[in-house]
Amino acid sequence: MSRKLTVVLLATLVLFGAMSLKTAVVKHGNGAVIMANGGAPQPPVPWK
Amino acid sequence: MPGPLEYCIWLVCTLLEGAVVVCAVKSQSFRRYIFLNLYMGLSFLVSVFRYQVLSHYGMASSEYVYFYYYSDTLLTIGLYFALLNLYSLVFDEMKVERFLRLGAILLLGGTAWFSYAVVQQSSHRILSHFAYELSQNLYFVGLVLTYALWGAILKMRETRARLIQLVLALGVYFSAFAANYALQNLYFKAGVLRFVTPLLGCVLPAAWAYCFLRVSEEARLAPSRLVAVPR
Repeated sequence: MSRKLTVVLLATLVLFGAMSLKTAVVKHGNGAVIMANGGAPQPPVPWK
Repeated sequence: MPGPLEYCIWLVCTLLEGAVVVCAVKSQSFRRYIFLNLYMGLSFLVSVFRYQVLSHYGMASSEYVYFYYYSDTLLTIGLYFALLNLYSLVFDEMKVERFLRLGAILLLGGTAWFSYAVVQQSSHRILSHFAYELSQNLYFVGLVLTYALWGAILKMRETRARLIQLVLALGVYFSAFAANYALQNLYFKAGVLRFVTPLLGCVLPAAWAYCFLRVSEEARLAPSRLVAVPR
């Protein structure tokens, strides 16, 4: 049971850390997009 | 429309993605690194279909835009599973697969929930925006997970050379995109940066293909503490 709780805690910590990082990056960014998949030319984002 | 250099980089990147799967099959590692290979195979197919859509409809068409961002979400989920494949290999002797699966599902579910929560407040095109937001959020989750895995490898003094190189390549890949993003924010008018992003896309398949081709599964790295000679 305690190992399961540890896993839940770790997953929450990673999620919190990643979302905090993303929020900080996007807040100070100019609206550029991070796309890390392949070499295809990136079209403009239609949801901005 | 993209220029000849961009097409050339894209072609090289696509060929490298295919080369990863070929090298893995050749070195009889396809099943051991199944999600890495599935991700690379999927990347190859997506690149081919993206080219088809781009050449048929054009860069500014909604068909290409939607196909690009939906396929990007699919690829980011694939990359997430490839990373989990590396986690399961690093921790395979500890018999914690069940907990890894639980953590992976929780993290993916949490990221999807967070993405939905953001999108719900700000968009009327919920599904498309959700796909885009999920891809962006999973990128950051992948970034944090890669650094956590690298920390675990250092702590556990992992010696399997191929596994270490695969994880390091992923770390370099994520870090390079993060640095590129920072540069884009600083010098967003610099034209050269539009070639850098697709070039960075070649880093991961090139490193993984090299790793499958040149580094054998049995190769080991000597931990520094064992190598150091006491005075």
